[in-house]
Amino acid sequence: MSTQDIVLDREGLAEVPVIEPGHTLASVTEKISDIVLVRPLSIGWVAGFLACASLVGVLGVAVGYLFYKGTGIWGINIPVGWGFAIVNFVWWIGIGHAGTLISAILHLLRQSWRNSINRFAEAMTLFAVMCAGVFPLIHVGRPWLAYWLFPIPNTMGVWPQFRSPLLWDVFAVSTYATISAVFWYTGLIPDLATLRDRATTPIPRFIYGALALGWRGEARHWHRYESAYLLLAGLSTPLVLSVHTVVSFDFAISIMPGWHTTVFPPYFVAGAIYSGFAMVLILAIPVRAVYNLKDMITERHLENAAKVMLATGLIVAYGYILEIYMAWYSGPKSIDWFTVHNRFFGPYAGPYWALWICNIIIPQVLWIKSVRRSPFLLFLISLVVLAGMWLERFVIVILSLHRDFVPSSWGMYYPTKWDWATYFGTIGLFLMLIFLFVRVLPMISIFEIRMLLPEAEAKHK
Amino acid sequence: MSTEVSTLSRLNPADFAVPAAMDKIRSRSLVVGVFFGLLALIGYFTSPDAFFRAYLLGFMAWLGVSLGSLGLLLVIHLTNGRWGLVIRRILEAAAKNCWIMFFLFIPLCLGVPRLYPWAKADLLANSESLRWIHGEYLSLDKFAARGAVYFAIWLLLIHFFTEWSKQQDSPGNRSHSRLGALAGPGALLFGFTITFAAVDWVMSLSYGWTSTIYGLLFLIGQLLSALCLATIVAVILARYEPMKALLHIDHLHDYGKFMLTFTMVWAYFAFSQWLIMWAGNLPEEITWYKDRLHGGWQYFGLFLALFHFVVPFMMLLSAQLKKNKGTLVKVACWMLFMRYLDLYWLIMPNFENKGGFYFHWLNVVVPVAIGGVWVALFFRNLQGRPLLPLYAPLTGAVLEPAHE
Repeated sequence: MSTQDIVLDREGLAEVPVIEPGHTLASVTEKISDIVLVRPLSIGWVAGFLACASLVGVLGVAVGYLFYKGTGIWGINIPVGWGFAIVNFVWWIGIGHAGTLISAILHLLRQSWRNSINRFAEAMTLFAVMCAGVFPLIHVGRPWLAYWLFPIPNTMGVWPQFRSPLLWDVFAVSTYATISAVFWYTGLIPDLATLRDRATTPIPRFIYGALALGWRGEARHWHRYESAYLLLAGLSTPLVLSVHTVVSFDFAISIMPGWHTTVFPPYFVAGAIYSGFAMVLILAIPVRAVYNLKDMITERHLENAAKVMLATGLIVAYGYILEIYMAWYSGPKSIDWFTVHNRFFGPYAGPYWALWICNIIIPQVLWIKSVRRSPFLLFLISLVVLAGMWLERFVIVILSLHRDFVPSSWGMYYPTKWDWATYFGTIGLFLMLIFLFVRVLPMISIFEIRMLLPEAEAKHK
Repeated sequence: MSTEVSTLSRLNPADFAVPAAMDKIRSRSLVVGVFFGLLALIGYFTSPDAFFRAYLLGFMAWLGVSLGSLGLLLVIHLTNGRWGLVIRRILEAAAKNCWIMFFLFIPLCLGVPRLYPWAKADLLANSESLRWIHGEYLSLDKFAARGAVYFAIWLLLIHFFTEWSKQQDSPGNRSHSRLGALAGPGALLFGFTITFAAVDWVMSLSYGWTSTIYGLLFLIGQLLSALCLATIVAVILARYEPMKALLHIDHLHDYGKFMLTFTMVWAYFAFSQWLIMWAGNLPEEITWYKDRLHGGWQYFGLFLALFHFVVPFMMLLSAQLKKNKGTLVKVACWMLFMRYLDLYWLIMPNFENKGGFYFHWLNVVVPVAIGGVWVALFFRNLQGRPLLPLYAPLTGAVLEPAHE
């Protein structure tokens, strides 16, 4: 028995395989590739795709009108200069993190259960980063000048401020997007070749063939592939930490109460992984039901994802509690204590307590094993967590800005319909890309699942 | 898994006893502890202020090894890694030493008026904020009571983790599921108690300065200390049977990887705290760094950055180094020393000699005195049990890796 496939049950020596028994090399290939190549379009898929596409239309209108009128159509004002755009940016970037964690870190830790979910988790990362990238670009107000963000030598003497974490963010996010895309594509190559070989009509064969870059499955190809993949996993690993750390610096480097606190870097990273795993579950649970993949995305996968959610959720709770504790410890006259008081009892107390309920209180049911193994409950909890993590960013961005040191500059923030339209529009964009993805690419890595079969064991040691 | 059953039925606890050669280390460290303890006693009568500062340093350093061992035990039971089984008994013996740290906490309470600004009448008279925290939170009785609660939680956790582990020395036990079930809530309690203890015992030396990542900085430092100690002891034991056969090169490699990870996480936390405070440049925060980056302390800080992170980081990247007993132990010893220096840098600049770097011979003597006793008792704890839990689920896999 391969060491990597053994997990110990709580009771002792029972073994739980990563995938259900009964599969052969051929049946794995057939089952996954047929979803792309053979399965006809269903009404459900078309309806879902069109619904999401219409939300993308809404996004187009919202952004178009924004470019025509300017950021005045949003609810932002002085003092709340960072509204929904930054809330949504951080939310989306965070969601992407689970994909990188699953594909890179779990690969390095030799966690073979990741093989069933890494492909679509990586796709999720890529699409989430795309959605995130929309916001800073449109938030600058003059999107045609967005290239000013980059240090491009020019005659105008415009040069970015390298001490600003906002600039670090440009590099962090663009590096992240690049590495994630390359990592994803590299992992896809052997499967693209499988699709090329199995395609029965010329157009898919041509497209998959071009994308497969001449992969023939030679020993040399595999050798180079494995080294490249390992190197990319190594490159991606620090990105799991660095990207959201830099995002947390966007806030913490300033001296705004509620932003300027040292626990932000690890707590942002934990929060990112928390929301990311929630999104993985939200996608995995319906997909495994609709495409009948319960034998490959098993209850064990769901349970492991739930455990990661529970652990990262508790780290997030640690962050919340520490912020309150340190504010209290600083004394009743400290600005930090005022900030906490304002969160508890101020005009935005509703979102604040909703955040506690969604992010901390409800997810505690994940301590119960039967909950972790119930797809339906996990789906609901994941929705709650995603809402909670969105509220967390809302609390951080809006509640900190709306009341700072000087009471005369206090204000309120109310999102407009354009704020909501842009937000829901990106959700539509994300889901539309997921809908396309499951139909045109193998959503589960075919060759990595084959490695989990007993036949592959000796080679994969 | 028929191979495991056949192996397990042959196990004899005597084959897994701690080698007799450890008696020598045990008695020698006790001699060192007593000798340095006497020196420390002289220091206590000649310069009590310096004594208590050094005492706090030694207390935090050795408490860190005990608590870090508890932390690693929690990680092992949460993840069921095979790497953990081989050093589990070492970690359990180290964690059990939390008892002596509890007794050593009592003298610390006696030193409170000499150490903490919130216990000094002249400072209290001049500061409203200090009077407020003194009334609400930081007073000797509350300090002692909270300390008792932290120790009660730690000792209770350690009690369960060592007792249930002991049951795994006999066949047919059901400890595995209980150990796993306690590890989750245990980790939660562990994280919070260490944070609050770090605030009480070290952060409150400079009341008025706060950092929300402070507890995590201690937590990761303790895990690193415990891992280094466990690696050193495992390699020493591996000169003899049974550890000679048990400590596989892959395990060493794993300990090296953990060492690298903890070193990186330590640097990540320390750097984040510094960057955020440096960029913020607020008077109530940056003063803490001013004390630590001027008057000679800046070289100390630079030394920490280079030798608690940069150099060990680069060395530990090498797989060869991690798989070699000799080199890995050297790095582990060095990192334990760096843990001491890191605590030195956190604690010592808090005191009056803010003009410059502060060194007192007691800062070496007291930690060594506590360490001598600690190590002696550690080996006594270790000798009480077989070096491997004989009937834990992974025991068979560790004993006969060839069958995998």
